[in-house]
This record gives sequence, structure tokens and C-alpha cells, in this order.
Amino acid sequence: MNMSKVMFGFFVLLAVTLNFGFFIGDIDNPQHHDVYELFAALVVGLIATVLKFGERSQMGAILLASSLVVNLHLIAAVIVWTIAVHVTEVGLTPRVMASIVSLSGGALLANLVSLVLLTLDTAGLSRR
Amino acid sequence: MSNPANSSLVFLFLRRMRLPLTVLILAYSVATVGFTLIPGVDDQGNPWTMNFFEAFYVVSYTGSTIGFGEVPYDFSPGQRLWTMVSIYLTVIAWLFSIGSIISLLQDPAYRRALRRTRLARLVRDLDEPFYLVCGYGDTGRMLTRALTDRGHQVVVVEHNQDKIELLEVEEFEAPVTAFCMNANLPDNLVEAGLRSRWCSGVIAVTGEGHVNLKIAISATLLNHKVAVYASTHTRSEADNMRSFDTDYVVNPVEEYERRLQLAIDKPDLFRLYHWLNSGPNARLAKPVSIPRGKWIVCGFGRVGRAVWKLLQERQMEVVVIHPDPEQSGCPAGTVPGRGTQAEELSAAGVEGAVGIVAVTDDDADNLSILITARALNPGLFQVVLENGLSSHALFRAAEPDFLGQPSSVVAGTILSRISSSLVEPFTQQLLQQDNDIARQALAGFLRHQSDHPPQFSSGRISPRRTPALARVLAAGRQVTVGKLLADPRDWQQRLHLEVLFIRRQQQDILFPADDFPLALGDRLLLAGRDGEADRLRAVLENDERLEYVLTGRDRQQGLVWQWLERRSG
Repeated sequence: MNMSKVMFGFFVLLAVTLNFGFFIGDIDNPQHHDVYELFAALVVGLIATVLKFGERSQMGAILLASSLVVNLHLIAAVIVWTIAVHVTEVGLTPRVMASIVSLSGGALLANLVSLVLLTLDTAGLSRR
Repeated sequence: MSNPANSSLVFLFLRRMRLPLTVLILAYSVATVGFTLIPGVDDQGNPWTMNFFEAFYVVSYTGSTIGFGEVPYDFSPGQRLWTMVSIYLTVIAWLFSIGSIISLLQDPAYRRALRRTRLARLVRDLDEPFYLVCGYGDTGRMLTRALTDRGHQVVVVEHNQDKIELLEVEEFEAPVTAFCMNANLPDNLVEAGLRSRWCSGVIAVTGEGHVNLKIAISATLLNHKVAVYASTHTRSEADNMRSFDTDYVVNPVEEYERRLQLAIDKPDLFRLYHWLNSGPNARLAKPVSIPRGKWIVCGFGRVGRAVWKLLQERQMEVVVIHPDPEQSGCPAGTVPGRGTQAEELSAAGVEGAVGIVAVTDDDADNLSILITARALNPGLFQVVLENGLSSHALFRAAEPDFLGQPSSVVAGTILSRISSSLVEPFTQQLLQQDNDIARQALAGFLRHQSDHPPQFSSGRISPRRTPALARVLAAGRQVTVGKLLADPRDWQQRLHLEVLFIRRQQQDILFPADDFPLALGDRLLLAGRDGEADRLRAVLENDERLEYVLTGRDRQQGLVWQWLERRSG
């Protein structure tokens, strides 16, 4: 067992689960989407990206790319949230909430791709 | 095109940054979350907690040690406690990551790789013809200097770090890119731009013959269009290189032998040949006449053997001095020793000799032989070999009658071949000529060159290269060599330029006479003062100037003037 592999798998998986946790619920209901969960998803996503740095394989490259997509989506969601609540003070209207949650939905998709790739990679590894 | 070395550097950097970046992200997120959880009090005294926006704002300025104070409201004791924790957390995380970056940047291996990548990018971005010089010894240095003086860019490959450092503090007229790597490996040559379409020549002048051989092979195989010039020390390597069409191979021993032979047999041809083929700083040799009689040869290495054979063939008595007379096929009667001692020289009969040849492979020995022998017999004709350029001032001061410098011989012959592809056939034909022709040619040059050797240049008479001349020739008018060389400022004067050689489809003409008529398609090899060839080129492109040069009449420019001129007849 390789500790770095454990960490890597842990962060990739955690990024997916947190993202899913935030995403699930009514799309325009602020009650169903917790800000801490979004924050955690972003932080874990960033760490997962950093851990994928410097992989030279094709798989590593795609994993890194999908992670970058995740971060892009989540950062966009955070910016929308910040601007709506703190800058323009529109508040979390259903319209704003829907756009935040749909951005996180996009992130979830990329996260799932990451997960599937990781699974495939692991499966391929065990066959050899 | 992506470069493997380049992207691996980025990957190396990213991989090393994994841990520091992770630490940084974790520290920031812990500090931010902490601030959103700690209860505080707003300015009205109501309980209040920060949201993520405010928390991240506070962490951002504390982490970077800017510190705006407590915003938006004064902190509660709990928040202050957490501020302390987050300050230490984030500042330490920053120090750690910045420290990692700096230590990575200072890592010698990383810096070397970075430097190479930067140089490789420089070479890839070159958009002018350049020469690839392998080996930066005396020869490589002289070549680099001469090529950059002519305005060519140069890429140098040398594995000795000291020599690269020497190069980096020198000033050149054109950009020089220096790689510190082994020219023996083809990959390194490719990195240095061997396959670039701007690479116009590869010059292999490392000290080792087999490395030069390998470079010549690599260059020929990896880039068909590139011209390859190589130096070598043994005949077998030279033959090997010529077998796969290396454009020019110079063997300093052969070259030294050839010059000495010329000096004995055709002194004026020797002067001309030596002047044209010894680099841009060559001086015209004084007229020498090699005396006949008894000679002493000190050192029986490659050069010594060649000189011995040469003198023997001319029915001269030769005594050899060599440390080990038994070995290496020394002739009978070889005196043991190095020749630096008076007794050894006396034993060889220096008092009755006419000349001495000091060609050991040690410069100090050669100088010592010269001085000792001169003390014993002041009338000796002195021939000496200078192995390295480091004691050049001493050799100059010793004033031998005939000095051989392998490095300038190699550099000079390669440089003249680089000037034009016609130089080699010209040289071959020149060497066949007798002394009188060489004397006339030399006299021609001496009309306008006193010290600096003539610069080769070449060109082709064609509608594209010389439009004006091509039109005149197509009109059926005759243009002779003499007319061609008239000065465009005063047609009765001559340009400081000589036509050495004309290559016509079937025939080659050496030293054409002034009344020799030119034809379309001729290729001309000229030599003369720097810059004169450019003036000639300008004449051949411009109808008015050519007309003036040919007839001495200024043709009027502009339609009105031409009409007036026609009217006045």
C-alpha cells in the first residue's frame, strides 16, 4: 500500500462526495445548499488538483484537466454567491441559487469523470 | 512543437510544488473556516459571526502579513485568539512554500536544465543562418570570432564549463549561443539546432578526431543540406570523413606538410596560399628561401615524420633528434634526447647545419630548442611548430623563419572554404600552378592589400542576382573582367578586387585576364578588400551605374532627361 496513493484517492473521492452533497436538493432553495459544503468542496478540489500536478502519463493529464474544470466551476459558483450576497446585496434569490447550484452541477460532472478515470486506472493496474 | 526537456521541467516544478501548495491551501481553509465559526459582536453589541467573504478577506491580509486591523467590527477575544492562530498558520505555510520554490530554483540540476531549455528555445527561435561550432578550443574560438565578425550567428557546443565561461565574457559582433554539453551525442547536436533549417554549416573542431568524426556523421545523416567542415589528426579519419561526403576535411599535419613543401618548392605560391588560408588576422609571410644542406629535425611525431620525409625526398641530409630512437621507426643515426640541450644539438651536428625544425608536441621544448640552437649556430633557418595559442607571444618574439600554428591553419582553411564553395576547386587548381603565376597574382593583390588578407566572395551572373549585367549581356554586348572591376565612382580606377576564378559549365578559368569576356551563368570567385564585393554587387544590379562603369558616361535618370539625351544624340 502506498500512502500517496491513499491520499490521492481520498481527495478525489472526497471532492466528488462533497460536491454531490452540495448539489443535491431543490435547485433554487437556499435551505438545501450549505455554504460550508461549497467551501469544503472547493478546498478539497484545489488540493486534489495540486496532488495531480506533475503526472506525466496520459491518464494523469486528463485527471488534471478534469480537476481544473472542477475548480473553474466551483470558483465561478463562489464568485456568484459572493457578488450576489455581499457586493450587490441581491441575496440568495431562487434565480441566483439556481445558477450557483447548476455551476456546482457542472463541477460534479467533471468530478465524476475524474472518479471514473481513477477507477479505470486502478482496474487496469490490477489486471496487469 | 513541444520540447520534451521543456515540459519535463514544468512537470518537475509542479511535482515539487505539490506539498507546499497543499499545505498552503489547507492552512488558508482552516483559518477561513475558523473565522466563520468564532462568535463576535458588531458595533451595536449584537452577536455576529463572519461570513466566508469577510473571513477570507481577513485571512488574505493576515496571511500575507499586511494586516489592516480588525474589520468590519472590532474583534471579540475569541476572534483575536483565532487571528493569532491563523497568523502563525498562514505565515508558516507561506514561508514553507516560498522556501521550497527558492530551494528548487537554486538546485544546480534544475538550473542547468533551465539554462539548457532557455538556450534550446533561443536556438529554435533563430531566424537567420547560423553556424554550429563544435569545440571551443583555440580553433573554435578563432572561427567563432571570425564568423561573428562577418555577421554570422554562431552556436557553440563545448563540454568544458571553463571554456564556456570564457566565452560568455567575450564580446562578439553577432549573437553567440553557447551550450555546455558533449558534442559526441547526436541528441545534443539536435538540441543545438543541427536540424534547424537555418543551420548553414557544422564545424567540428573539437580536440579529438573521433569526436569530430562522430559529429560529421551525425550532421550528414540528420541534415542533408548542411555543410560539414571537420578537422582531424589522422589520415584514416580524414579518409573516413571524405568517404561520406564531408564538405571539407582539414588535417593540420597534412596542411603543415603542404605549406612547408610549398615554401621549399614554390615560395611565392606558398606566400599567397598561406595568406589566403590563415584566418582574417594573417599577415603576408616574408619571402622565404629554404636553404639546401643539412637539417636537424627535433621530435619524430606525426609532423616530424612528415617533415623528415619531405626533406629526404629533396635529397637533403637530415638528422633526427628523438627521446627514444629505438621506437617509432626512427631513421638510423637518430640522436637520443629532446634537443633542448646544447650537447644533444652538437651531437646532431648543429654547427654544420643550415636549418632546424622544432616540432615536438611541447611548446616550451620547441622554444627552448630554437633558442639553444640559435646560440650554437646563429645562421640557422628555423622552422617551429606552435601547438597551442597560449604562448603565441613567445613564438612571435622568438621570430622563427617558418612558424606553424595548427589552430590557425585549421581555422583559416575552414574559414576560406566557408566563404564560397568555389574556394576548394580554386585552391586545387592554384596548387598545380608554378611559382611565376602565383607571383603575378600576389603582385595583383599587393596593389591594394598590404596587410589584411583578401576576403573571398563569390557570385553568379544571372538575371536574378545581377539583373543589370544580365540585361547587358543578353543585349549582345561584351563585358570583360577588366570592365567589371572598374570603380563605380571613377571608372578609370579599379576596385580593390581581383577575379580569381571563373567556373563556366564545362571549364574552369584560373586568374582570368582583364580582356576575358564574361557570359551568363558564369560563377565568379573574387577576393579583395572588405566591402568591395558589395560595391560590385550594387553596380551589377543597377543599370545606370553599370552603364557608367562600362562606358564612362552617366546615363540620365528619369524619362525627361533620357528623352533630352536621345534628342541631343
